[in-house]
Amino acid sequence: MSEEIVGYTVASDSETTREENFPEPEIAIGIDIGTCQCSLAVWNGSQVDLIRNTRNQKLMKSYVTFRDESPSPVGGVTNQLSHDYEMLSGASIFNMKRLIGRVDTDPIVSQASKTLPFLIQTLGIGVKPFIAALVNNMWRSTTPEEVVAIYLVELKALAEARLKRVVRDVVLTVPAAFTRLQLTRIARACAMAGLHVLRLMPEPAAVALLYAQQQNKNKNMVDSGSEKIGLIFNMGAGYCDVAIIATAGGVSQMKALAGSCIGGEDLLLNTMHRLVPDMDSLFSSHGLDEIKSMGILRVATQDAIHKLSFQRSVQIDVDLGNGTRICRVIDVEEFEEINKGVFEKCGSLITQCLRDSKVVKPEYIDDVILVGGCTSIPKLKKIVTDICKKNESEIYSGINPLEAAVRGAALEGALASGVNDPFGSLDLLTIQVNAHSIGIRADGNRFVPIIERNTTLPARREMLFSTAHDNQTEALVVTYEEGDDEKQVLLGYFKVVGIPPAPRGVPEINVCMDIDASNMLTVMAGVVMPGSGTRKPVVPLMEVRMPTADHDGHGLCADALTTSLGSTLDLVTLHNNKLNT
Amino acid sequence: MAAFAVFRLPEVFNHRAGFDHPKHLLSRRISKSRCCMRNHASKVKTASGRNYYELLGISVDSDPQEIKESYRNLQKKYHPDIAGQKGHEHTILLNEAYNVLMKDDLRKDYDASIGHVRVRLGADELNMGYSTWNGPFRPQALFVDENACIGCRECVHNARKTFVMDETTGCARVGVQFGDDDTSIEVAVESCPLDCIHWVEREELAVLEYLNIPRPKQGYGVFGQGWERPVNVFMAAKTFKKHLKQEQAESLRRNVRQDVEQETEAQAQAREKASLKLKMERFAGLWEWMKKV
Repeated sequence: MSEEIVGYTVASDSETTREENFPEPEIAIGIDIGTCQCSLAVWNGSQVDLIRNTRNQKLMKSYVTFRDESPSPVGGVTNQLSHDYEMLSGASIFNMKRLIGRVDTDPIVSQASKTLPFLIQTLGIGVKPFIAALVNNMWRSTTPEEVVAIYLVELKALAEARLKRVVRDVVLTVPAAFTRLQLTRIARACAMAGLHVLRLMPEPAAVALLYAQQQNKNKNMVDSGSEKIGLIFNMGAGYCDVAIIATAGGVSQMKALAGSCIGGEDLLLNTMHRLVPDMDSLFSSHGLDEIKSMGILRVATQDAIHKLSFQRSVQIDVDLGNGTRICRVIDVEEFEEINKGVFEKCGSLITQCLRDSKVVKPEYIDDVILVGGCTSIPKLKKIVTDICKKNESEIYSGINPLEAAVRGAALEGALASGVNDPFGSLDLLTIQVNAHSIGIRADGNRFVPIIERNTTLPARREMLFSTAHDNQTEALVVTYEEGDDEKQVLLGYFKVVGIPPAPRGVPEINVCMDIDASNMLTVMAGVVMPGSGTRKPVVPLMEVRMPTADHDGHGLCADALTTSLGSTLDLVTLHNNKLNT
Repeated sequence: MAAFAVFRLPEVFNHRAGFDHPKHLLSRRISKSRCCMRNHASKVKTASGRNYYELLGISVDSDPQEIKESYRNLQKKYHPDIAGQKGHEHTILLNEAYNVLMKDDLRKDYDASIGHVRVRLGADELNMGYSTWNGPFRPQALFVDENACIGCRECVHNARKTFVMDETTGCARVGVQFGDDDTSIEVAVESCPLDCIHWVEREELAVLEYLNIPRPKQGYGVFGQGWERPVNVFMAAKTFKKHLKQEQAESLRRNVRQDVEQETEAQAQAREKASLKLKMERFAGLWEWMKKV
């Protein structure tokens, strides 16, 4: 059963060393892999504990440094940086969460290729980018999955040392904006690290679970039945998520979920561009000197942005080493003006989420929950509270913005491992929704959603399709997921064969999609001939676990499908046919 | 995994047919005497055997709050996070039922599809009766005066789709209005040895059916507790209506005075509903008093 969820076999040493007869269920640990920082937590039997590393840190920097001497490479869990510049020398790979599962036509990738110290080569044809770290003046290739896996191995070792047991099951938090392709990449990295993923849960879902637990604790004074509406706004270095939840009696029910790939990194890059307008061309060759000056600029800008959360203006005075010296003052107004686009996007995510959730008025929101490092920025606080018509003093204060996600993940880990708490602290549940619409291509290259976004999970939906041509005996079911900005990502495809020859529009092709609680998508298809009396399928049904697409080149693949097959295997929708709404 | 595949695949096509939940019927029977008003209405079983109301264990007149609560409680039992993968199928059904019943338009369509139309008292959403309608509304409806009924089962025998026997009270009652053809209904009405099956105006049906349900009565120590209903349900209905009219006139007068105070539609609806329920409760006390006199 365990391997089936991930979709491939986990071959790891831990399999053999693991004791077969655990007296109690193994409690899955919660991991929050952040773009910038990671943390680890576990249910200790009565509450959630954060696991600290040897340097007593709860939050560990996310990066992996490649080097020649053994043990190579090391990650931010064990490694101690003498200074931030060390991370920016080109030998360390970071920001993996923004790169994993993306193709080189993605603007996020091309933007990163121009601004990160390590090498990201893009061809712009829809294949996986080439990533390399600088080791001994040589670019050594790696992949985002490998980097994440190396990091996870360190986390696993740390957890095993602290808990004095084998760690295998994990619950990871992921951004809501992640497509299924990105999720499989993360699961793949976990498998490489010998970890078994119980759940990949959106960060807001984890926060919702923690919130439900806190509400449940406080319920004895108020009536337990009263429902509280909460808005979760989570913005870290790489991603931004918004969710609307309704919580009562330990159950958090998600009403809407939205996410986008915007975060602190964008704020940083925008500000860097303001300081050095020709930055992209300046650093494009990735020479040693350029990497160094880019690192200096990055650190200085990062510092300035942090300070701007607490003071009105900040003085930047750095020598980039290449003859350029930057000496200027940036105040809060200028910072907000530079990043207007990012802040607007945050606002639109919240309003979209409110609209989707059908919470009639922002006044109905009881609690505004801010999570993630970026939410200490005053402007963001103001955006969220303005939309929700609250004062800044009314922001929910019971949650640590940097630890909420990992604590929620640890709770989910305990739940999914089947732990029972005699005191009812685990009498919890988050009912999640699907963040992206999933559908197939039909009606002449149109995306027809079958499971709409914000559908409660687990979900199953069916739709009837038919052939586009007379005597068409085969049809191609191409599954897409709607990602950020209405862009569709190819998840996979399969052929339905053996359709009896008939005029177009007559055979009924039933396409059914099923998402289970661990967010596993299965697409099923069957052919029925109307008028044959029975509703039995004429050929064996197809059951395909998605995504099946080639992860490394799904962009290329999508184009190839359209150009080489054209419309010969097309499907059309049968009018008004949603079987179950 | 193989077992799952076998179980799941036919679902693509038969998922409408296969579901049945005998457990719910059982629990209904037991809880009947405790809260009879809530459960009678959802008695109608559709041909498909799957009724969203039964699935969620709620009555057809449940308001969104009740649906939500029941849904969450069931989710806590069946959600795969708690029950494991075996909860998958059931949770999908729960989600589907919740999705339909929480949206007013979808719920209306669904109610129509299972042959249940909520009888309304005027424009109010509150449903107090228990019988459902087969086919279009007619000006007159059937009503069994359960005080007079001796439980002879004649009517159930003659028109079994219309009349049902309530075993807990030992009386017959109307389950579905016009569930059978007109002649068998005619025969059934005629066959009643006590003539306790009445043709009543449709508008009066809800009130009569509400008052006809036995309610717990206030006891004194261990004495006098139990269940009772008005001795003359028609008289009780008349009195209730009179009170209602008075109250309405009263509130009308009050409204004129308080015109300045604005009220949203939802608020007004909620208030109306609450006040009507209160009145009902008060009235339950009233006929208790009437009997003593």
